[in-house]
Amino acid sequence: MSANGKSRSIASTETFQCVRCGLTVTANAPDGVRRNHCPSCLHSLHLLDECRSRMIPISIAVLRTGEWMIIHRCTRCGELTSNPICGDDNQLILMRMAVRPLAQPPFPLEAFGDL
Amino acid sequence: MICDMPRRNPGRERPQRSKKAHHGEPGDAFRCVGCRMDVPMIAPGTAHRNHCPHCLTSLHVDHRVPGDRRAGCRGRMAALSVTVRRDGEWLIIHCCQSCGGLSANRIAGDDNALALLRIAIRPLSDSRLPVSALLTL
Repeated sequence: MSANGKSRSIASTETFQCVRCGLTVTANAPDGVRRNHCPSCLHSLHLLDECRSRMIPISIAVLRTGEWMIIHRCTRCGELTSNPICGDDNQLILMRMAVRPLAQPPFPLEAFGDL
Repeated sequence: MICDMPRRNPGRERPQRSKKAHHGEPGDAFRCVGCRMDVPMIAPGTAHRNHCPHCLTSLHVDHRVPGDRRAGCRGRMAALSVTVRRDGEWLIIHCCQSCGGLSANRIAGDDNALALLRIAIRPLSDSRLPVSALLTL
């Protein structure tokens, strides 16, 4: 096996523990991309700026390409980051975040029924 | 021979009078970088208007604290998504088009409801999505 292949196999067994739910997850998602949030509760860790605090998912953003991004906010410093979703992310939590604004609208949604 | 028509642009005898420039100083209105609408600073429901009520576009001028004017970027910030605070208040997530920075801003009372709703339902209008997860419940 080449050195390159060996390093890839080591990387695929690397794990981390979620700071919120304690789930041990592999650092690489099944589709091969590097994870930065827990697939079960979608919480993350603020690794930049030496903050190392918990980051909570607050919103879903849809890019022009149709890709979904999770917006995380750091509970300590309030920094916002956006990360692409993984294939095995908890779809119920994703969906809950997507519909949450519509469940608490700041204006009556009935008015849009006429449009 | 040179005809003696009056010169169209005679040399100025006097320099132009100085005019008061309004470049970036806090006034009572600003012009939106997205739709060029003149927006009054006074907004219902908030003391800091930071985005256009019509197209929801903002400008990257604040760093951490709203109103601190410490960001040197001055890029255009487009509304990326909508989130809800614990108290039920909507926030717009803005994304800077030049540096990629994100910021969350409260909506104002006169924000365009149709534009807000369009951003809010964008995830749900995606067909390939976890809508199937809800249907299995």
